Amino acid sequence: MEIEFQRVGKKYESGHDALSQVSFHLQQGEMAFLTGHSGAGKSTLMKLIMMIERQTTGKILVDGVDLRTLAKSVIPYHRRRVGVVFQNHQLLFDRSVFHNVALPLQVSGADDEQTGKRVRAALDKVGLLGKEKLNPMALSGGEQQRIGIARAVVNKPQLLLADEPTGNLDPRLSAEIMNLFQEFNRVGVTVLVASHDLALVARMRHRVLTLNQGRMVNDGGFA
Amino acid sequence: MAKPPQQRPIQRGATRQSLSNSRQSAWGAPSFDFKLYLRQHQAFLIESFTRLLGHPLASLMTVMVLAISLSLPGGLFVLLKNVQSVTDRWEQQSVISLYLFSNLEDTEALSLSHQLSSRADVESVEYISKEEGLRYFEQSSGYEQIMSTLPENPLPIVLKVIPKAIVDLNTLPELQSLRDHLQSLPQVEYAQLDAEWLQRLATMINFGQRFVYAISALLVIAVLLIVGNTIRMAVESRRDEVLVMKLVGATNSYIRRPFLYMGFWFGVLGGVFACICIMILAWWVSTPAERLIELYHAGFELQSFNAVEIIMCLTISAFIGVIGSWIAVSRHIRDIELQ
Repeated sequence: MEIEFQRVGKKYESGHDALSQVSFHLQQGEMAFLTGHSGAGKSTLMKLIMMIERQTTGKILVDGVDLRTLAKSVIPYHRRRVGVVFQNHQLLFDRSVFHNVALPLQVSGADDEQTGKRVRAALDKVGLLGKEKLNPMALSGGEQQRIGIARAVVNKPQLLLADEPTGNLDPRLSAEIMNLFQEFNRVGVTVLVASHDLALVARMRHRVLTLNQGRMVNDGGFA
Repeated sequence: MAKPPQQRPIQRGATRQSLSNSRQSAWGAPSFDFKLYLRQHQAFLIESFTRLLGHPLASLMTVMVLAISLSLPGGLFVLLKNVQSVTDRWEQQSVISLYLFSNLEDTEALSLSHQLSSRADVESVEYISKEEGLRYFEQSSGYEQIMSTLPENPLPIVLKVIPKAIVDLNTLPELQSLRDHLQSLPQVEYAQLDAEWLQRLATMINFGQRFVYAISALLVIAVLLIVGNTIRMAVESRRDEVLVMKLVGATNSYIRRPFLYMGFWFGVLGGVFACICIMILAWWVSTPAERLIELYHAGFELQSFNAVEIIMCLTISAFIGVIGSWIAVSRHIRDIELQ
């Protein structure tokens, strides 16, 4: 999936300018990091791509289509093409790991056989194949994070968005998770990861977009 | 690891293909798949029922409130049905008395009498001359003295018309129109249908029906509100789930579905318990009711719900359940938005 922002601004009703004049172009199959202090607008930028929020100015093109031209009723279908790892909206603790990961497939109407195959494949990729029957509550923070990633990729999305996916993880786990994203990128998925862990981002050697108070201050070179 | 730009078109083509595999066009709704649709509905039907069983006490309480609200109009319906069936079987001959104009000649009256008795809807006509009338009157009223002081017989000729139809609530309109017709004849001064009690009963039943309709309407609204409120709380308690589903691309109608089925189950179960309540009630009052009616009329048997009425009751209550939850859920799910 290809993402293009053209002088995008987002002003919340409170009057706060979350983003202003943000422009960048993420190519199909590209991987990039989004950095900046908390409150710099990283989450807002991702919410605009997910159509959770709408921009107040500028244009957002996804595969060449202006998101503003999309009807509200097609938003669900847009979201099915994007896998997200958000910090809030995490796992549901009233069901097993398997059923958490299966949710996007159920929603888009996959049959049981297909669901079983794909969920196991996704869990295998994040190294949790043996734990599908457990409740996520019984798993560690790092494992829960990986369930979230499995859920994000189970539907074979064309774009993977991750907002602080390594939030409270130790460096070793963080690196593991970043490597996972890199693997998905290698099979053609466009990946955008928001992180404030600059050291880790620098080690990954990918394009880095930096936001500061809602403005894009750096695009391109490694941080 | 950005791909070289010239590879892009190929990549995009490949993406389209993988999308069509997952039954999804690039920017719109997937094409309608009936089998999938049925499969999802079946899954929701079962899932929502097991969810009710997951909170047995709370569910039972809601179901019982619904059952009580539904059994009141249902019970009134059964009562009304029985009143109607009693009067339906109240076999009684009716009489329409025609008081003819007093200046009418005997021959004219006789020919009218023949004419009427040949009608298809008339069983027989009894001719009561002025003299006969006077005799009856003297015998029954004890006004012999007064009558003898009158210079001439003041009584008119009376024709007693016995219609073919037996009088009951169904034939009453027919008899009334026959009476109206006879009244309009030029020889007839006044036509009286001897079924006043029945007319009163018909009015009362009509009143009773409206009363039942009004009570039913109120209780249906109550049921809608109860189901709506229960479902609203269910949605609220599953807020996180609704948010995650929206995030992974569930349509609103998909999110709505389990809650609609929950409303369906509440309706059906409420209807089942209401039917049971009504049948127990009917059984309980049947012995005294039958004894009471038998004082007037033999061979009465109290009727409870029959199979058709049970199915109707369940259908209506299921429908109310779905509507109630629809109202609550469509408003509420729109309000829960990702942030």
